[in-house]
Amino acid sequence: MKATFPLLGYDTYALKTFVEDLGGEVVLPPATSKKTLEAGVEASPELICMPFKITLGNFLEALDMGADTVFMAAGARKCRFGYYHYLQERALARSGRPFRLIPVSQYSPYAFLFRLMPVTFGVSPTRVIRSVAVMFYKAGLTHEFRALLNRRRALDFAGTERLKPRALELLEAARSTSEIRAARRSLRRLLGCNGSRPVLRVGLVGEIFFMIEQFANGDIEKELARLGVEVVFERSLLHHLRHLLHLDWSFYRSRRLARRYLRECPGGEALRTVGEAIHFVEHDRVDGIVHVYPFTCMPENIALEALQQLTEDTGVPVLSLSFDEHTSRTGLQTRLEAYVDMLRRRSRERSISRD
Amino acid sequence: MRVGIPRALLYYRYGPFWERFLAGLGVEPVVTRRTDKELLQLGLQHVSSEVCLPIKIIAGHIADLKGRVDAVFLPRMVWLEDELYACPKMIGIVDIARMMLGDGTRLIAPSIKRNFLWPHFRAGVEMCGSPLRAARSLARARSLLAGPPVALRLEPGEKRIALIGHFYNIEDDYIGQPIISAFRKQGYRLVTKDELPESVLRGRQGFAKSIRWVFERELYNAFRFLVGSVDGVCVLVSMGCGPDSLIAEFMKEEAGRRGVPFLQLVLDEHTGTAGLVTRIEAFLELSQRRQQLTRAA
Repeated sequence: MKATFPLLGYDTYALKTFVEDLGGEVVLPPATSKKTLEAGVEASPELICMPFKITLGNFLEALDMGADTVFMAAGARKCRFGYYHYLQERALARSGRPFRLIPVSQYSPYAFLFRLMPVTFGVSPTRVIRSVAVMFYKAGLTHEFRALLNRRRALDFAGTERLKPRALELLEAARSTSEIRAARRSLRRLLGCNGSRPVLRVGLVGEIFFMIEQFANGDIEKELARLGVEVVFERSLLHHLRHLLHLDWSFYRSRRLARRYLRECPGGEALRTVGEAIHFVEHDRVDGIVHVYPFTCMPENIALEALQQLTEDTGVPVLSLSFDEHTSRTGLQTRLEAYVDMLRRRSRERSISRD
Repeated sequence: MRVGIPRALLYYRYGPFWERFLAGLGVEPVVTRRTDKELLQLGLQHVSSEVCLPIKIIAGHIADLKGRVDAVFLPRMVWLEDELYACPKMIGIVDIARMMLGDGTRLIAPSIKRNFLWPHFRAGVEMCGSPLRAARSLARARSLLAGPPVALRLEPGEKRIALIGHFYNIEDDYIGQPIISAFRKQGYRLVTKDELPESVLRGRQGFAKSIRWVFERELYNAFRFLVGSVDGVCVLVSMGCGPDSLIAEFMKEEAGRRGVPFLQLVLDEHTGTAGLVTRIEAFLELSQRRQQLTRAA
């Protein structure tokens, strides 16, 4: 079996480790690019949201490279995401290549551990549980890597970019719990910044795919770091996996905080987006909130209204960015520059009035 | 007490029930006027430009009520039996309404989760203070929930088009009426899901079982039921509607497979009526020609 799955930024490594640990062979498509997006857009319905188009492009490229099994998250509730795999299966079938699409329901962890994975890979449930533990570990490593990278890059952009290939090597090579522990120590040594902190910090919230996939969000963390801003984030594959096992305490905190604006969950991740934004503003004292989501995303558009209310209530500026296939990198950079300029002026004014 | 009801979204299904229920409580129901350009413009100022047309319209209605009434009655449908959900925006609009209305106007928003009548009863108690009166008013209004009995009667020889679209789009004066009159002018009979019995609309056969949006499942079932007995299918989708963007794709594929002419009209606030009418006329002409060809063959 040559398995493939959508690329998820740095968290791709965690998924890769998981499948390889179960004894599957992974065929990863090349990093998402304009070409991927074009292939995806061509095979997609016109009005569907961006993650559909990008992941479909990934699958098409992976099938070209010889993959024969496609894993896609599923589980239909209020958000469109749960229905992706029905349409993607049809679109891939039209491309004429032989393949098998395995929908992995997000809301049935027991079926995943005891039926789906053991049957697919021909291993025992104990083995699956062990591999899931490794995946958790690794997702924790990528989460920490991103946090370290964001801080270090904001302080010393060019130097960190030089260190990045080395760090990615470390990240990719760690496969067992002991290796991951060693890699974590080396990463901390490599990317640590001795307690110094950038002047400006913004919180990144929004739809999870757009928060963790660099192509999708125009590498927004890097662009902000170039401007000397540290990006604080909470959601990654680690927290998503925890959430699916009902073990993510930060979710319950977010849900409690979000009640201020949203009394009922509109589906997707709207509650987390709003709750995290409130947490970042009130607890982490960030200078601004950047909200990323795909164009016409239903839950995030509701969250957007709540975030605007948050700006009115607290005065912390929110930059809402919706992405579609026509979003240009240059346009994004200009908006970020203007936003960061405004944040810088605000923080200077605040420090003057404090003195 | 004057309680406002926006004439949008769920009003088109439960409106008469709500009005009688509120009147029975001793409060004065104030229903907003039919949607017009002015209300839409008002709505555009209050919600993000990316949401779908019906949400923009209901935002206009809510803004119109602000300051005119003591409270706004806007039940929130979250899910119904069989774990059928409403769409995220329909759930979220209630919170947006709360933020729009601010502290000046009360928002009465019972959350409907499986049970339909109990949240209404609690809201009734909240409005009139008397459980007895709320229960009596609810019992009296209840007969309006079922609506008139439906029977689909298809006359032989008539020209029929299935109009597949959300009830709140079709029945809205601003969105649906120009389209309906364009079809009628050409001598076509429009069949909508209103003429189908509940048992068909709630069916769980085939792909319908996987659809977990309540109104979307109704649309898909209506489409499956009607597609064999009409001359063409017109699907009304509002720009930015998430569920429709998926389900319309399935309908398109199936109509293509069965050789039934298919027209997808995407609506937003910039859609001109003249353009729509032209498209509809062209579509009808094409489907007629196709019929003549198949008859000749």
